[in-house]
Amino acid sequence: MGRVLKRLAVLVPSMVALIFVTTLLMYQAPGSPFANEKVASPEVEAALRAQYGIPDSATAFFWVYMKRLVREGTLGPAIKVQGRSVEELLLPALPVSLSLGLLALLIATGLGLLLGVRAGLRPNSWSDHGSMALAMVGISLPNFVIGAGFMILFGLALGWLPVAGWGDARHLVMPALTLALPYAAVIARLARGGTLEVMQQDFIRTARAKGLPERTVVWKHALPGALVPVVSFLGPAAAGILTGSFVVETLFGVPGMGQWFVKGALNRDYSVVLGTAIFYFGMITLFNLLVDLAYAWLDPRVRESS
Amino acid sequence: MRTLAALLAVFALAVLGVQLSFSAATEAPADFTFLNGTEPRTLDPGVMTGAPEGRIADALFEGLTRREARTLRPVPGVAESWEISPDGRTYVFHLRADARWSDGTPVTAHDFAWAWRRLEDPARGAEYAYILHMVKGAEIFNTWGAQADALAGPVPEALAALAPGDLDARTWQAFVVEQRLADRTAGTPDAWLAAQLERGRGLGAGERERFVAALGDEARRRRAAFDQAAARFGRDLGVQARGPRTLMVELVAPTPYFLELTAFYPAYPVSRAAVEAHPQDWFLPGHIVSNGPFELERWRVNHKLRLVRSDSYWDRDAIRLASIDALPIENGTTMLNLYLTGGADWLPGGYPSDLVDALKTRPDFYSGPGMVVYYYRFNCERPPFDDVRVREAISIAIDRREIVEDVLGLGQIPAYHLVPPGMTGYTPPESRAVRDVARARRLLAEAGYPGGKGFPAVGILFNTSESHKKIAEVIADQLRRTLGIAVNAYNQEWQGYQASVRAGDYDMARAGWIGDYLDPNTFLDMWVTGGGNNQTGWGDALYDGLIRAAADVESWSARPEPLLARLREPGEARVRLAALRGASDAATRLEAAARLRMQLLQEAEAILVQDAFPVMPIYFYVVSGLVSPQVRGFYARLQAEDGTWVANLQDLHPLRDLWIEREPER
Repeated sequence: MGRVLKRLAVLVPSMVALIFVTTLLMYQAPGSPFANEKVASPEVEAALRAQYGIPDSATAFFWVYMKRLVREGTLGPAIKVQGRSVEELLLPALPVSLSLGLLALLIATGLGLLLGVRAGLRPNSWSDHGSMALAMVGISLPNFVIGAGFMILFGLALGWLPVAGWGDARHLVMPALTLALPYAAVIARLARGGTLEVMQQDFIRTARAKGLPERTVVWKHALPGALVPVVSFLGPAAAGILTGSFVVETLFGVPGMGQWFVKGALNRDYSVVLGTAIFYFGMITLFNLLVDLAYAWLDPRVRESS
Repeated sequence: MRTLAALLAVFALAVLGVQLSFSAATEAPADFTFLNGTEPRTLDPGVMTGAPEGRIADALFEGLTRREARTLRPVPGVAESWEISPDGRTYVFHLRADARWSDGTPVTAHDFAWAWRRLEDPARGAEYAYILHMVKGAEIFNTWGAQADALAGPVPEALAALAPGDLDARTWQAFVVEQRLADRTAGTPDAWLAAQLERGRGLGAGERERFVAALGDEARRRRAAFDQAAARFGRDLGVQARGPRTLMVELVAPTPYFLELTAFYPAYPVSRAAVEAHPQDWFLPGHIVSNGPFELERWRVNHKLRLVRSDSYWDRDAIRLASIDALPIENGTTMLNLYLTGGADWLPGGYPSDLVDALKTRPDFYSGPGMVVYYYRFNCERPPFDDVRVREAISIAIDRREIVEDVLGLGQIPAYHLVPPGMTGYTPPESRAVRDVARARRLLAEAGYPGGKGFPAVGILFNTSESHKKIAEVIADQLRRTLGIAVNAYNQEWQGYQASVRAGDYDMARAGWIGDYLDPNTFLDMWVTGGGNNQTGWGDALYDGLIRAAADVESWSARPEPLLARLREPGEARVRLAALRGASDAATRLEAAARLRMQLLQEAEAILVQDAFPVMPIYFYVVSGLVSPQVRGFYARLQAEDGTWVANLQDLHPLRDLWIEREPER
């Protein structure tokens, strides 16, 4: 409990620091939200800036933003999508990205554990080498290559799945798989390592000596230990899946948060960029906290030491 | 077991999340789905710029006129008829009685007057305000207030901050361009003031005080005119409602393409009630009030935008599509894949350019010349491109054929001048930018870089894109081989590239320009000294004079000197001028004025491609795309008045006129 409270207490000031630093960086980037091919005169740009509350300097913008956030509880109006506030745009995207991300995480964990534990239980067998080679491929290939490959195979050649878009369960399959595979690969390797290490421990020998069936030895005694490296990887994995979603969502036309991150940056839409940054920061912090708790839950030694 | 429980909990969450996100999304596909290439930023016709927004606007709203699909000629829209005065300056539109907004109220002339005033309102900063500047009072209302303010305060202050004494030509010109004085004092009755801004002049110490006083007078003049226009524009000046169904428009000068402009979205009406009720978001579903063939049913950003046939549209029986989906996917490969798998019926370009060769043999592929020019800007303020001989040498050393045939491969046309072909009534001038490597080498030597020796390493800036990169590299290679100079091609993403060009932080920069209307002026008026879209640092008083004269030929013809003497073909101009003066009736007069105008524009373009070379045109675009054979009413080529098929230069395919004949196999 103390650990949780400590984490949450740091959350707010670090969020404020994040907003400040992001604002500074955004104002450093060349261009502005109002740059366009049909060039506007400085008078027009000034009028637009006044309309949207985007002053010329980063610190001025920071104060405007924080005041608005605290007083009105809003993330501000989006600039490149007129007439909508940032939360109006991001909130519908949230369940999309969450469902995609969680599904990807589940697939990654499930697939990774399956392959990895199996490999760890039969070290140096053909299935071990085979799964690890597959894992290597999964880690090395960039996710847009994997995604494009799926699109060609399942979308164009076989016609089983829709190529892009969002609307029903079939739209989830390829994006989730694409996101999951690189992490499944890493988890497989971690699970294999963890399994190998645990299976060599004394208490496993004891359990076998006690006459317990092999399945109980594996499930009840070995697996929790093997899970430890996997669980500690889940934090970075979640972060990676969230950021990997930028590419995958753009590729598959999924209306999630990843697209907003990319679009906001390319369009210099300051409010959207801040909104997505806040969201991602919150998500990653939350996830790391959950992972910490899960860690303590799984490994009693961690609980004792805190 | 705890692990299992945890996993199950997470799984349940995931399923819940999926359900949540899907429940809002599942629905039957629309009659017609197309890929719009990007998310519309807004649906307010008085604010929007860009073709994707335009396609939606043309479906949601209707202007006084509209473009008929097969010919793209303007035909009656909200206005069922109109009269044009003999001198071409006054239009009276009669609106139809059954034109309605989607909330049931009638569309009135007041709606148009109010919308046009709103467009020109300087406080709103509409980027397309300039498109209606030929309406009397519009330009004054839109720009003179800010100009007066600048001339009264910041400009004299900046002048005072300059070193005392005589200002040499270079310093003075830099000041004139930086302060945009040519723009801000355009059309001044003070001839002395205008003369001080001419290129090649400096400003003497003794003249400075007089100049500041002249600025003050000009500021007062502009402020007075602005106050008048602000009070009256849209009420009894320029555009006014003479009754609920009569709209009168007064133009500064006859404009042959005016009826095309009334079919262009900045001139669309907006519902005053809707806008005043929700000023920031009146165009969102639930608030929007529109008068066009379709209404906005749903708009999920990044997902899709759905239009449905309007029940209040006066011509609803002619609309055959019940619903349309516009998809905002931006990734070229994804767009193409979606089209190929039947997820969309129309892909208006945007496919990966590498696939051109594979796609162009398909029967559902269409292509044709477009009203778009691809060119490079020279930074005329930075050596070595401040020397016109260097600019000319580069322009005539490159091989446009190689680019068009080897790199592009879609029948693009090499461009030796700026205005794309297809403008009726306009003959482009002869260009000196034709390939002549020997002459290029001579010019380079004359400029002080024989064989390319001593030529500084320069860069070609382009915005990130595979095809821009290929072209830039080919050109760099051509210049290295023919002239022996080192050129480095580098890219920045769109925003960064825009900022660099605007700040003059480049040597050569790639650019493209899409014409807004079918008239050469849209490609030429941007090059006036200090013009917002100029961004080369080049300017020429004669060029400015020609563009201004062409904008109001009648007034110019009253006092044609000294411009007339400086034309390269004064004889031809005199003939046309005589024709204008000798015109017996109004119709002949209008036609003679139009011909004289085209002559002046040709002279202006001649300056660009024979003398000054501030930009280097490379090729004219080909617009292309893929459209399902089941789509009808889609005209990749247009029918001209004489029945022949000509290019759809503006690539306009109004959604209103489309329908689908699907085989019932799905």
